[in-house]
Amino acid sequence: MTVQSAANGDIKLIGACPGEDAEPLLQHLLAAPGATVDWRDCHGVHTAVIQVLIAARPTLLGPPADARLRNWVEPVIARTPR
Amino acid sequence: MNEFLQQFLIESRELADAASSGLLALEQSPHDAERLAEVFRALHTLKGGAGVVEFFAMERAVHAAEEVLTEARMGKHPLTTERVGHCLTCLDQVLAWLDTIERSEALPDTAASEADQIVRRFEGDRALSAPDSSSSTERAPAAWVTGLLKGHHAVAPRALTAVRFVPSADCLHQGADPVAGMMSLPDLLALDFSAHLPWGPLESLDPFSCNLILMALCAAPVADLQKHLRGQSGECEVVAIPAAIHDFESSLPPQVTAVIKAQQALLGEECSQGFAGRVASAGLVAANALRSCGRLELSQRVSRAAEQSLLALSARPLEEALAQLLTEKPSLAIAAPDELAQASDLAARTFRVDAEQVDALVRLAGELTVVNNAFGHVVKLAQLGDPSLPDVLKERHEILQRLVGQLQRSVLRMRVRPLRAVLQRFPRVVREMSATLDKSVKLVIEGEETEADKAIVEMLFEPLVHLVRNAIDHGIESEKDRIAAGKAPIGTLRIEARRRADQVLIEVDDDGAGIDPARIREAAVARRLRTDEQLLAMTETETFDLIFAPGFSTVTQVTQVSGRGVGMDAVRSAVERIGGQVSITSAVGRGTRVTLSLPFSVMMTHLMTVEAGSQMFGLPLEAIIETTRVPQAAISKVGGASVVVLRNRTLPLIDLAGVLGVQAVREDGDGATVVVAAANGEWGAFQVDRIVERLDLMVKPLEGLLVGTPGIVGTTLLGDGRVLLVLDVAEMLQ
Repeated sequence: MTVQSAANGDIKLIGACPGEDAEPLLQHLLAAPGATVDWRDCHGVHTAVIQVLIAARPTLLGPPADARLRNWVEPVIARTPR
Repeated sequence: MNEFLQQFLIESRELADAASSGLLALEQSPHDAERLAEVFRALHTLKGGAGVVEFFAMERAVHAAEEVLTEARMGKHPLTTERVGHCLTCLDQVLAWLDTIERSEALPDTAASEADQIVRRFEGDRALSAPDSSSSTERAPAAWVTGLLKGHHAVAPRALTAVRFVPSADCLHQGADPVAGMMSLPDLLALDFSAHLPWGPLESLDPFSCNLILMALCAAPVADLQKHLRGQSGECEVVAIPAAIHDFESSLPPQVTAVIKAQQALLGEECSQGFAGRVASAGLVAANALRSCGRLELSQRVSRAAEQSLLALSARPLEEALAQLLTEKPSLAIAAPDELAQASDLAARTFRVDAEQVDALVRLAGELTVVNNAFGHVVKLAQLGDPSLPDVLKERHEILQRLVGQLQRSVLRMRVRPLRAVLQRFPRVVREMSATLDKSVKLVIEGEETEADKAIVEMLFEPLVHLVRNAIDHGIESEKDRIAAGKAPIGTLRIEARRRADQVLIEVDDDGAGIDPARIREAAVARRLRTDEQLLAMTETETFDLIFAPGFSTVTQVTQVSGRGVGMDAVRSAVERIGGQVSITSAVGRGTRVTLSLPFSVMMTHLMTVEAGSQMFGLPLEAIIETTRVPQAAISKVGGASVVVLRNRTLPLIDLAGVLGVQAVREDGDGATVVVAAANGEWGAFQVDRIVERLDLMVKPLEGLLVGTPGIVGTTLLGDGRVLLVLDVAEMLQ
């Protein structure tokens, strides 16, 4: 399980998040609409997870651990309007 | 580059030029069998050459054009205007390839698909409407490509290929990870993705239904990316980015960018005083920097912004113009691709020289070696203190002088080219412009064989294009108007070149509507170039001359062909830069004639050197009327200026040291040494400290950031190694 709900209500993405993580992430975000997603320990995200992040556009706590996420994914999500 | 390839480039350009002009002639007389054979031979040789050096894409494209000629020769299919157009497009492509080959010694990666397009064009227009989705390389890039480049302008200059991938909606169910796929593209420069369709409410989101459009810029060639993306499910476009998009970016050299940034910093300084000075100087420096790299249009835009800033008492317009220069890069080039003007950069870097001339040079070199050896002997005599030394030296010097004179003449002779090199491009230019503007124009070119220095022949294209554009766009009326005015329905545009003494005259003459002086006056007042009173005092010639003032244009509507704000002032500045002059005459209803008078050679200038404030300056001898000393009594003050009365003529007296900001070194009291000069009908007297000597020198025009420095036409080196600044008399007398 790489999607966790932290004590402060944040959602944490940890390690490499496969496509299966998309559904639990979406459920977390639906349950707590204002929640922050902390992906500082994240090493990779599947396209399905990225779709959830773009569609829900939560506040992201970064930067992610992985350089490719930092270079290519984070800027695009940051540019996406909420 | 190896010699073989060099030879190929020279020959191919010549053949392409010959084929182009032949095709244009064939368009007028399609049954000229001899011409047909000539064009066919040119294309055939061009194709053969491309095959030999293994540029197969080029071979294929030219073959398609050759086929058209074969069909025409055999009477199978006549040479229609459309077919001629396709052949010309093919030759344009060939010239573009040759430019690339010259830079990189290879055809561009896109050549194969470009050749496909050319071939398809010949096969009929059907293929054009359904371009190959995986490797479409149309001339005008798709909107998504320009948008992507604009969004990532920092990396855009390095981008070779743009990718747009819309994965199929069910691909995630099949285990695909398209974003990861895009992140691993070779030489990825930028990645972007967005929703294909709106997301809708979050509750109904299906994370496994792919709804993304992925776009990327890469520095890898199309083929590599296609290989990488093979097997992905979805729609994928891989597009080579045309080099033209980068032209703008790459043509702003780093030092110019640095200068522009420095001006931004200057404008941004918090400073209560000297606003006008700062704006004017920042505008001037930025404009000069742009002009130095040949961006006349941008330079003028900056100048105009500076004027606006001064009028509005706000640095804002200029700041915005400068910021735009540094940011809005790719889109600018796409918005206004001016292929005709870009084509002018084909200035021959290599050219053919008559073998006899080379032999003459070799002979001269031999004789110079002999003189050089003889000087060894002279040195020995000097060491021995031989009394015959002065005589020997004088004799040797005379021989040397004669040989150097011969050398200069031979080299000059070698640089002389016929104007045909530039004029032969105009049938094509006129054909395209008149088609764009829907006007009927007949072009008559006379005096193609007139010769001029290579530098002049090469710089002529751009000003002439402006003039031709103006003539077709604003001069020649539509067919309907012409018939109504009782004129022949087809307008005539004449370009005539001829030699007159030391000058080459080029006239661009149209039989169009002419220019109404009243409209010029109106426009001059509207643009605050002159006041009503000033205009009343002007002769008709002076009024017409206003057309050359910067920022002057009587046409408010911007057309695709002209009226972009680069006008006759650009023509004047280009012509004056090489020491020429331009004038215009016009008669309402009958037409307009612009005359360029250019020096035959730009190399040798007769100069008089003068000293002012212990610095030497050169004055072109052609502008000097006389040099003399005037008594103090002849000099009087009128307001802040001085005048001198000489031979019953009152002349403005310009203190050279004062104007140039150097300290004068001269004894007061007993009068002044003056050089009386005239240019463009204006007379004046320059006060100097001392007149030095008369010299024949090669004046180099100012280069780099110094281009456009007011009052100076060029520089040259003196015998002792000092740099001599040659003054622009015309400008100083204004």
